[in-house]
Amino acid sequence: MSHRPITYAQLLETNNLLQVFTDESYWLCVTRTVQESKLFPVPAYMMLSYLNAFYRYPSLLRKVESRMKAEEIGDRARNMGIKINNPPMSWGLLGFYFLGREWLINMGLLRPQDAVEDIVYVMDFWKRFQLSWHRNDGHITNKEFGHRAQVLPERRLQVFHADMYRCEAGDELHTAAANFMATVSQYGFLISCESRISLCNTGPYKIDDKREMIVRDFMDLAENDLPWLDGVAADMPYNNLTVPMMVKDCHFYLMDDWGSFESKPDFRAEHIAGVGLYTSDPLTEGFVPVGMGSKAELIRTYNDLAGKAKEATNRLWKRIAGWTRDQMIDAGALMYFGIFKDIAHVAGTYEYEDWMLIDERAQRFRPLLNDEFSRDVLAELVGYVSQPSQTVHDYTMMQHNNGPRRMFTPIPFSILMGDDYTLTSGPVYPGSTCLPKKEDRYRTSRGQMTLAEYNNAVRSFTPVACRNENRFLDETWLKYNAKSEAARALYENEQALSRKLKGKGAGLSRADVEALADKS
Amino acid sequence: MAKLYIDSDKYGERAKFPTVEAYHSAVKDLVRKRLDQAGGDWASFVFDKSLTLITADDLKAIEARLLKAGHRFDYSAIISVQERPEAYKPVPGLGDAAKDYSFEHPDAPTAPADAQGRALSGVGDNVVKHPANTTGIARYVRTSAMVMDYLTKGVPPDTIAIIDDSGGTLTAPIIERFKGIICMGGSTRSHLGILAREYGIPCLMNSKIKGIKEGDTVELESSAAAKTAEAYQTGKEMTANIWKHGC
Repeated sequence: MSHRPITYAQLLETNNLLQVFTDESYWLCVTRTVQESKLFPVPAYMMLSYLNAFYRYPSLLRKVESRMKAEEIGDRARNMGIKINNPPMSWGLLGFYFLGREWLINMGLLRPQDAVEDIVYVMDFWKRFQLSWHRNDGHITNKEFGHRAQVLPERRLQVFHADMYRCEAGDELHTAAANFMATVSQYGFLISCESRISLCNTGPYKIDDKREMIVRDFMDLAENDLPWLDGVAADMPYNNLTVPMMVKDCHFYLMDDWGSFESKPDFRAEHIAGVGLYTSDPLTEGFVPVGMGSKAELIRTYNDLAGKAKEATNRLWKRIAGWTRDQMIDAGALMYFGIFKDIAHVAGTYEYEDWMLIDERAQRFRPLLNDEFSRDVLAELVGYVSQPSQTVHDYTMMQHNNGPRRMFTPIPFSILMGDDYTLTSGPVYPGSTCLPKKEDRYRTSRGQMTLAEYNNAVRSFTPVACRNENRFLDETWLKYNAKSEAARALYENEQALSRKLKGKGAGLSRADVEALADKS
Repeated sequence: MAKLYIDSDKYGERAKFPTVEAYHSAVKDLVRKRLDQAGGDWASFVFDKSLTLITADDLKAIEARLLKAGHRFDYSAIISVQERPEAYKPVPGLGDAAKDYSFEHPDAPTAPADAQGRALSGVGDNVVKHPANTTGIARYVRTSAMVMDYLTKGVPPDTIAIIDDSGGTLTAPIIERFKGIICMGGSTRSHLGILAREYGIPCLMNSKIKGIKEGDTVELESSAAAKTAEAYQTGKEMTANIWKHGC
């Protein structure tokens, strides 16, 4: 790794992004949830994951970028519903890394000016990914967009809209869809050791004055990177499932960077007016329909997948109930730490040793992680923002809080005047886990693969929309070139598996799509 | 002894919680000592030498000192107490004590029975406004052993689960079989609240209850307005009542 001088402009930008991230992180942490579980020692595993993130993320991001740039991964992410969305990329990447840093500062094991090159790089990677992923809505985060995430291009929204099956409370599809989403949400919380990181909502998108659509991703469902799913998830045929969901008389006024929503009135299943079902992964041409041949097939598919998710939930719960505390901590810490591991799958650089082990530099802190200390230090870092490093001068009024607080410490500009600083935490060190080693089988859209097969397949695959000839054909270009051959080809590629829009091309308006869609 | 960079902090002094302050002070003392041993050069210490000079055994010793002084940890996960009962405060109301146990929140509002024989026994934050109130039989669900028992034998009909865990995993295999939920912690945005909303199960989060025992008939005011994010942010009280019947 080369060591280029850190510039004033780099520090200004890094510290700005960090402060903006600080403001939103506080709001998310105090308004979205209270983290607790009687099953999992959640704060303990979180604190361990933060340290693992601090020590490993810079090296792992550089490894990913040795094959694919962050902004190119962002291009891929726009066309998939896999774990490189919210909260993995928007919040987890920075949140976990900087919480690890802040904790180490407060234990005297780090200074604000240590690992400066890492910090600048991690922030720059995040910025490039986020700008790319949010390219269609033109923002860097949901927060910047007033808590919205309109990441999808028109061509994909048209297919979701047109192919959706209509439903209303009490009918068979409505019941099946609502039960499926509840069951797979519950499974997601268990897979994720009590975190919400297997679930992501994006949108909303306007269908008409009374109806909106959001896109709901349910991820990491089958045998994948997580060792605890070996066997128990063997029957799950898809690793990622996406439900475009249309609601009536319910406005989603908030879609945050954790992938959670708020609506007026409160969203209830009765509001659901249309649904679809898709899968995607790094080997698909975007979203592939699942059970979308007819309404009856979709009902059967929802019920079948809900049944499989329920069985997997019960098997997994029994497995977890038999774990030791250390195994629970490892699973939770690795789930958190590996929150955006799928970027390595997209790049074809995924390795078990990178993403599913606790680095020895983090591992040594495990003896500190009793429930009480973990709970209290976590609460100080993200809730009270009361650690000494987080305390600033008394004139300060923190956003959302008004106290003299700041969640994350900036890099001091004084390093530009000769104050000493260090560059990097170094490479990935050896790691360990008390969980069973992952079996070498991964559920993909091309069937079960070994990891080597999976990495090789990914390296030789580029979705049509991401190829050089299409990559920069964006929504602004499309506005003025909808009648071009290139636009027709791009839209028809997206429509190839659509039951309503196959071959319709780029000229349709939303009203045209509504006219083609089912009416009941 | 070596001075750490953060020893010169103008604004920050102590952690908010005593346990955090005790741990962090001990770790900082350790770092000062080991930095001295390493020759005082921070650049070579911070990412290289510190790994071998600050070890798991060092950190284990910090906890041992705290326990030796008589401290016992609060628990959050039941397994922590099960594996190290000597290090944690006991969990009340489990085992033989479960039959007569009730959560007794000091701030739970109570009132004598009304004309319908319903005694106000607490309040909670309603997750979703339902068309009607929900009445059922109170059953405490607090450990994985209890969940396993219900998973094996089935959840009795009309169960209103009383849970001191706002997470979604402890009750994952059986949640859809509850008629209603009273949760002692969290908010309407907690995982248990999210799942209750998805399943359409009446649920009150952040509840404060008193005097409700296993087998009591209880009524949740699930027809009350749902507590909003704005209400949490502004501190506005928006609660739904919990009554005990047959008083």
